[in-house]
Amino acid sequence: MANEEHENRAVEIGSLIERQVAIKIKYLQELNEAIAAHQDRQIYQLLDNQRYAKEIEHREQQPNDQGVMSLVDDLADQLSNYLSEKLIKYLGQAYPFFYYEEYQTGHYRIYFGNWWDRRQFGELDVLNVRFSFEPTEYEKLRQSFELARENKRFNSDRIAEISKQNDHLQDLIDHQREREDRRQQVEQQLEDINSHSGIFESSKNKENRQELVDQLQKIEDEEQEARTANKTIKENEQVVLSLSKENTILSYEQKSIMDTFGSFEDFELANRNLYANYLASLDGDRHEEKQVSEDEQ
Amino acid sequence: MNNNKMISSPQARLTALSTSFKDVLKLGRHYVELLDQLVETEDAQEMLAATTQLAELDLQNAFADFPQHYQAADYYLIFMGRLLEKHGIDAIQISENSRHQFIARIEPIADSDSFKFQLGEDGEAAFTEQGEQEPLFYLDLANRFFQFNNQALVNYFIVRALKKHTDLELRDAVKPLIAFAQELATDLDFTINLGILNTDNAERFALARPDLDLTVIDRLFVATAENDYMLMNLPRNNGAELMLDQGIKLDIAFDPDDYSQQWFFAVKDPDSRVSFFDTLLHYNLIRQWYLNNRAELAVRSDKLVVAPADEEESFEQPTEVFQPDSEQAEREEDELGDRK
Repeated sequence: MANEEHENRAVEIGSLIERQVAIKIKYLQELNEAIAAHQDRQIYQLLDNQRYAKEIEHREQQPNDQGVMSLVDDLADQLSNYLSEKLIKYLGQAYPFFYYEEYQTGHYRIYFGNWWDRRQFGELDVLNVRFSFEPTEYEKLRQSFELARENKRFNSDRIAEISKQNDHLQDLIDHQREREDRRQQVEQQLEDINSHSGIFESSKNKENRQELVDQLQKIEDEEQEARTANKTIKENEQVVLSLSKENTILSYEQKSIMDTFGSFEDFELANRNLYANYLASLDGDRHEEKQVSEDEQ
Repeated sequence: MNNNKMISSPQARLTALSTSFKDVLKLGRHYVELLDQLVETEDAQEMLAATTQLAELDLQNAFADFPQHYQAADYYLIFMGRLLEKHGIDAIQISENSRHQFIARIEPIADSDSFKFQLGEDGEAAFTEQGEQEPLFYLDLANRFFQFNNQALVNYFIVRALKKHTDLELRDAVKPLIAFAQELATDLDFTINLGILNTDNAERFALARPDLDLTVIDRLFVATAENDYMLMNLPRNNGAELMLDQGIKLDIAFDPDDYSQQWFFAVKDPDSRVSFFDTLLHYNLIRQWYLNNRAELAVRSDKLVVAPADEEESFEQPTEVFQPDSEQAEREEDELGDRK
């Protein structure tokens, strides 16, 4: 009795394994065929059925079968490399300002623009057809779009501040002569006061003297600042240059986005719909591919 | 001609005097013939021959005082005027000043400045603006050689003349000078160097300094933020390309395959009609940047020297900056700033 039960279970498990293996084989076969024919849309469907069903077929709640999908986990980099070819070609049209560098198999850095100075802007996630932008870099761009509405640039305030400091320093350098004259004058006054003060110094005299000492200290402070002013001005100019460069990069980026999408909001919208738009674009060449492979045979 | 031997008899002395006068008259006739040739001939070779001989003719003589005559520099100018006239170009007006020298004025900037040839010891004539003594080009008739002076072109047109004239006026003023060079090349087989006026897309203008601090290019990049032109990176990271309007591009670059990494300017446009000089003249962005960073960006004024046959390399070795006199050299040094 117990033995029979055990045998029944063994048969059940055996057929379960058979069924599962058959599913896995079917999955791998389908994937293999899709890859052989460069049916990228089919490949994307096989790699993430849930998302495909939702975003392309508009069918909700289609769970992914982890059992089959994990079969190719260790091929992620190679699949990414394989799928990047068509995706990057598509992106070249849709996002003409992005440039990609494959720094290791299947991994792509995004560069914004090919202008004189440019930023690394994040990475391209080929398997998920999405950009994963560098959050800080992306935030700068978002902010600069906002600031542009007030006719301001990302670093305008800091540049203005540093320029003001440089004006002040230049002023100190330019008034060296006057400062020297004033110092002599104050020193002379101080000497006069000292010579008038006896053992009992009047409080008025004391006050005057303190004031002159303070003045002298102030002149000395300014002198100290003036001595390093040239160097500080040069350093500040370098900082302003790099801040201005960043402003320029951001303005080029804004220009590019406006030229292609019309607004930052439309750019973000396109990013959200990238998967659907891209797979839809693959519809067209599915037909072509078939023809090509038929011709080849 | 002048016989120093003691001549005693009056007859002999008269004969000697007569012989001397004959020589002088012969010289005078020759002189007059050359003058006629220069002003009358329609043949460029004959114009050149007359000019060269007139420039060398020595009219100093003990026996006859020739009436007012001209200097070599004057004949050079007449030659230039005649050759242009032959090609129907009348933008250069030549007139005589109070010191009996010929001076040239160029339309449409005739009201402000005048020009004159100045001859150097090596027989080379510099077409020189009279105010600041800028030698715009050099002419060497004996060796049939012509070249513009890049530095003087920038000093005169871009730095100074642009304060009084529009870019279009100056573009027109440069035209007859280029035409003269081209006529020398076609009619008389001159070797010409148009310098920064060359519009050929393949032409490169080497920077005088061996290195370039990249912050200089950064400054151009930053300046572009204020207008519609974009500064791009060159594909092999060997410099930058400024995208101007109408498909015009200005490169500041070096040859990535060349070990020396010599920086140069190059201007590319669809019809090969725009020179580096034109970009300085027409684009405020480029002009301001170039002049603000002139010490770093100065284009070499290649002064090609006509070398003897066995010293061919000196053709390849341009002397950095040519200066006709040391005072000028000092002035430029000052202008170029902290070179020392």
